[in-house]
Amino acid sequence: MSLRKKRPSKKPLPAIGKRSVWFPVLLLTISFLLMILPLEGFVLSVKAVLSYVFIPQVRAAHSAVKYAGGVHQTVQELLRAHQENYTLKQQIEMNNLLAAQAETVFRENERLAALLQVEPVHPWTGVWARVAYREPSQWNTVIIDKGSADGIEERSAVLSLEDGQEGLAGVVIEVTENTSKVLLVRDEDFSAAVMLERGQEEGLLVGGGVHPVRVKYIPLLTQVEKGDKVFTSATSSIFPAGILVGQVRAVREDSSFQTAQTIEVEPQVRSAAVKELFVISRRGRK
Amino acid sequence: MFYKAFKLIFLFVLGTVCHWAFATFFSFCGLSVNMMLVFAIAMCTIVPLEAGYLVAFFSGLFLDFFGARLFGNNAFLLTLAACAVYALRERIDFEAVVPQMVTVFLLTCTVGISNSLLVAWFTSFSQWPGLWSLLGGAVVGTFFAPFVFWLVRRVWGEETAPSRL
Repeated sequence: MSLRKKRPSKKPLPAIGKRSVWFPVLLLTISFLLMILPLEGFVLSVKAVLSYVFIPQVRAAHSAVKYAGGVHQTVQELLRAHQENYTLKQQIEMNNLLAAQAETVFRENERLAALLQVEPVHPWTGVWARVAYREPSQWNTVIIDKGSADGIEERSAVLSLEDGQEGLAGVVIEVTENTSKVLLVRDEDFSAAVMLERGQEEGLLVGGGVHPVRVKYIPLLTQVEKGDKVFTSATSSIFPAGILVGQVRAVREDSSFQTAQTIEVEPQVRSAAVKELFVISRRGRK
Repeated sequence: MFYKAFKLIFLFVLGTVCHWAFATFFSFCGLSVNMMLVFAIAMCTIVPLEAGYLVAFFSGLFLDFFGARLFGNNAFLLTLAACAVYALRERIDFEAVVPQMVTVFLLTCTVGISNSLLVAWFTSFSQWPGLWSLLGGAVVGTFFAPFVFWLVRRVWGEETAPSRL
């Protein structure tokens, strides 16, 4: 490709006149003078004047660069969110399908329960709430941002999610119009009727405070192993049956004359991890 | 006239932002990219003489503003570069990409070497960035030159011949 001009300009270029010559000469002279003068006095004054022009400009440039530096991260997050959105949409569709199947199963269950004249299992209904306040001295009690105005009643079961798995979080012990107090599983005053996944043996779960959560009154000959799941029992008057409480952490070796064994349970929902809670409505239950 | 002056100031500010961005980014790679020079050259190919010289001079002062030992050297060299571009503008078609890139590369190298010589001459200090740093910076500037030329023409307006402010 030739460096020569291929086509003439639409307008003729202006002739280099006197003005065109003296102006660059003037600028070159000024810059040359600035170079030869010492970096004090006049040059410092020039710099000071220029700082009024350039420093806001530099700040703006720095802000623009900083902002632009974050753009690729934002774009990355946006792309990730797009991918996540796609996956979640698929999950929602799957969940809708499962919910429809569950609805059919519930209706079938109601029909069969009516035929057998037993109490049918109702689906859980309730409200989601957030932890609004946590008393530092009482870590196993939280205040949530929903109250009687949202349909919450005392002695309602409370669930929470941890690692994508729901689990028993506690029970509502106090209700005001817009807030409620929840006693968490680990609290010493907490207790619930539970059953073991293996063998369907029932026991009483009690919170331990600083000590581990325990299940008492498990028959001696019951085979319990570490990792066995513990669920709420149908005999509980507060909690619906089938809520995951936790996993067996250890079996306590008690003295031989005792008639029952005690097991230690690791709760599914840790007290410190509780943020969003699902309060099961008592109206939906018997 | 006011509109053109506004465009000129906008392009100058845009040049400083680009220079800051490139200087920040490429300094990690050890390259000294002079985007102010690329902007000054691009503007001199399209804006009127006085405006082009002023832009080159103030672009140089902007670079000098951050210097510690000598003040005015970049203003001097960029004004000289503007003189070179105005001299070439009558002979070379700056609308084509290759002349843009060749001019930017040659002038970046020339200005870089001259700057080191000026600093050494006036202050007895060596400000030589290193051959690879200088050449690498010139290559980066050359690579982005067509985009800068396009941007300047787009902002300033499509004119093949310069008009007076």
